[in-house]
Amino acid sequence: MSGAAAPAGIVSGVTPTEPAAWLAELTAGVATWSTTDEHTAAAGADRSGTRQAGLPSVVVYAHTVADVVHTLTVAHRHRVPVVTRGAGSGLAGGATAGSTAIVLDLASMNRIVEISPVDGLARVEPGVITADLDRAAAGHGLFYAPDPGSVAISTIGGNIATNAGGLRGAKYGVTRDAVLALDVVLADGTVVHTGRDTVKGVTGYDLTALFVGSEGTLGVVVGATVRLLPRPKGQATAAAYFSSVDAAARASVLLATLGVRPAVVELVDGRTLAAIDDLRGTDHATRGAAFLLVQTDGFGAIAEIEVVAESLRQSALSVEVSADAALALALAAARRDALPAIEARGRVLIEDIAVPRSRLAEAFEAVTEISERTGIEIYQFAHAGDGNLHPIIVIPPGFAATEIPAHVQAAADEIFALALRLGGTLTAEHGIGRLKAAWVEREVGPEAHRLMRGIRALFDPRGILNPGTSV
Amino acid sequence: MGCMTTSTAVLHRLRAELGSRLSTDPAELQGARADRSGYTAPGMPLAIVRAESIADVQAVMRIATEWRVPVVPQGAATGLAGGGAGSDGAIVLSTASMNRILEVALADELAEVEPGVINQALSDAVAQYGLVFSPDPASKAISTIGGNIATNAGGLLCAKYGVTREAVLGLTVVLPDGRMLETGHRSIKGVTGYDLTALFTGSEGTLGVIVGATVRLRPIAAGTVVTIGAFFDTIVAAAAASAAVTAARLRPAVMELIDHEALKAIDAFNGTTLSASGGAYLLVQTDGGASVDEADRILAIVTGAGGTAELTIDPEVGERLLAVRRSVHPSLAARGEVLIEDVCVPRSQLAAMFGEIERIGAKWGLSIPTVAHAGDGNLHPNFVITPELALASGEVPDVVWQAAGELFRAALDLGGTLTGEHGIGVLKKRWLRDEVGTDSFDLQRQIKAVFDPLGIMNPGTMF
Repeated sequence: MSGAAAPAGIVSGVTPTEPAAWLAELTAGVATWSTTDEHTAAAGADRSGTRQAGLPSVVVYAHTVADVVHTLTVAHRHRVPVVTRGAGSGLAGGATAGSTAIVLDLASMNRIVEISPVDGLARVEPGVITADLDRAAAGHGLFYAPDPGSVAISTIGGNIATNAGGLRGAKYGVTRDAVLALDVVLADGTVVHTGRDTVKGVTGYDLTALFVGSEGTLGVVVGATVRLLPRPKGQATAAAYFSSVDAAARASVLLATLGVRPAVVELVDGRTLAAIDDLRGTDHATRGAAFLLVQTDGFGAIAEIEVVAESLRQSALSVEVSADAALALALAAARRDALPAIEARGRVLIEDIAVPRSRLAEAFEAVTEISERTGIEIYQFAHAGDGNLHPIIVIPPGFAATEIPAHVQAAADEIFALALRLGGTLTAEHGIGRLKAAWVEREVGPEAHRLMRGIRALFDPRGILNPGTSV
Repeated sequence: MGCMTTSTAVLHRLRAELGSRLSTDPAELQGARADRSGYTAPGMPLAIVRAESIADVQAVMRIATEWRVPVVPQGAATGLAGGGAGSDGAIVLSTASMNRILEVALADELAEVEPGVINQALSDAVAQYGLVFSPDPASKAISTIGGNIATNAGGLLCAKYGVTREAVLGLTVVLPDGRMLETGHRSIKGVTGYDLTALFTGSEGTLGVIVGATVRLRPIAAGTVVTIGAFFDTIVAAAAASAAVTAARLRPAVMELIDHEALKAIDAFNGTTLSASGGAYLLVQTDGGASVDEADRILAIVTGAGGTAELTIDPEVGERLLAVRRSVHPSLAARGEVLIEDVCVPRSQLAAMFGEIERIGAKWGLSIPTVAHAGDGNLHPNFVITPELALASGEVPDVVWQAAGELFRAALDLGGTLTGEHGIGVLKKRWLRDEVGTDSFDLQRQIKAVFDPLGIMNPGTMF
């Protein structure tokens, strides 16, 4: 844990009162809630592969802003921890909840309130599934750019809480770049509006950017105005196999110097290709030891992909190019199947480092070295366009779901240290959650950590919002 | 301000640590009281320090903290809201001399720069690699990247290429107590902890002093740059045409509107006859692989909306047309002191906002020449304090404040903001609470206190 002293005003370690004292007051003010083990167990889990000890006391299924205000008002008065969740698809444990917590589930607040084509924006509730928003935008010739791997199941609110990235980050930005304004319920139940409906705006500090990525520790997002962009016309895909991950990584770095800006550059390592072959009966691994998928879009998509393909051919074993949508989908299968194929081999711990693009080959090599030296199974794929590498550790069988074995954690720690050494970050798009909280100060330094804790104490003086998560 | 002995002691300490980087020359102090907003701070700054290193900035901040002396960070002092004006008794801390480009990393498409690097100088330095620094405030030839970050500067290309915040990956900041802080990272993505980089971007020198930045570069768009200039009978018609372009899912790099009052000022300044050709001018530029195709479609929309348009693929002609737009400010400045406003409304409300400006101008008997970045709904209505309007005291006449207040109110009522890219500074702080609301206003002040508990960073700016 951090050595920095907690600033005055923050409560480290919440000591909640007995549920009896507040539960009746809480449930009297909301329409939908549950205290049954079945519901609270489900509400306390995310997709990180870890759990907290014990079950939450209650889960509130919020339908309105008033439900959220009431929940936080009661929690604040009685100093009860609140863990906010959307779809529970988080990968860092930020939406896991243990004994005595209130889980505030926003999945039912899922209306797309407005789409304004001329202003290029949408107003949404936090529980809207990200892919649903994109689909609705498509009806107006627009798209919602951030596309985390979980786009079909995760919520906009969750994407905002983690500042989710995705495949198109290098070209179209991440969630922060797409969020114009927020409605947030603060820890004491006060509702504030941040940002504005305009493309530009610099009135005061950027509280919107502060809430984006704050992982439920500064307030609860109950509404968002997000930017929609003209849906790119045209798309072209190149798929290439390489003799080594190193060659593929180097080829991906070269793309950045060609004056083109692909929408997607994805890299999959040989071990992952073998897992996909096992799952799907394909023959990726026989075609190469690494796979690189590049997609260009917009009016110049075809001209750009030709530049890309020519560059890839310098070092690839094979390159296929297509501007046909169905064929492109087939070419992208190797990337799409990566995570399911690894998950078929056991419980996974998904890491999420980012390094400057130029260091990508080094990062792959070093993770491989860690895997070989420790004997721990680590698979790797990357959003190569923005230097975001996902080493996936398969946890050996025989350990409880609440536990990360010490030797696995040691390997994860080595990966974090590697990211920092290469000038990168612990987490590019998944968040700190609970799993990486012990590492924050090492990355940001004691000064920044002190300031972040100070900001947290300001927004949440009683320390009830997602304690143990983030900074 | 302050007791004489304190000032003397502070100056003594500053001189001991900073030597010739310290100046108390009365003419220089006089000059440091103003930026380009038309605002001049009352009183007189205590001193100017022209920092040459991070250590210099740290030394100043340690001394300032010890003696609780206010510090006003300054770059090129091209600000338009008074946020860089040296206030009474303050140390003006200039980072303009810290102007080295420390590194250009081609594969990572980023640069490490000192804060005093001129915006255009960075683009010039990386042009040979086919790269450009996206943020392009109209002041880019004279403003510093540190100042751009402090104000989260915008520009002409923002609808397509984003504002300064999107281009800043990481910062090195000296905190008020002299300690150094690094935020962000060299990777494009990163979500470790709160986004302090975004918090510092646009904080107008109220949280710390920016002494270094890691900024993104982007490839210069390929393809022909196509420029379209079109005259319309009225500004409302021109604004409607620009909205139609956006509604057609087209994304030009530049889309600028100039109203009739501004055209007249340009004519008077340049000896041109633009204002005789129409009541408003729309300037559009497309770039990238599909620029010609996009421009053809824009031309059809503009003509269909009643515009008399010409299209050129000649880069020199295109640049000349853009120069017309850039000459607006000098043209107005030739008439008197200019107070540039900076409201931003949702694009769909652009025509309505122009209507409001006409109404307010007529009501108060003021001419309010206006230009707009139409692609992002950002308008610059200008109040020109002509000799007839000027007060003997040199202060802005009350009628202008009244009209400006109505202008801001109108922008907020249309779902907009009082400043799109210039910042709150000193001149707009009286309206800050109106826009953000009391709860948010209080939170913002408390955030400032977390960073600057003694309140020595640019006091009087923003809050």
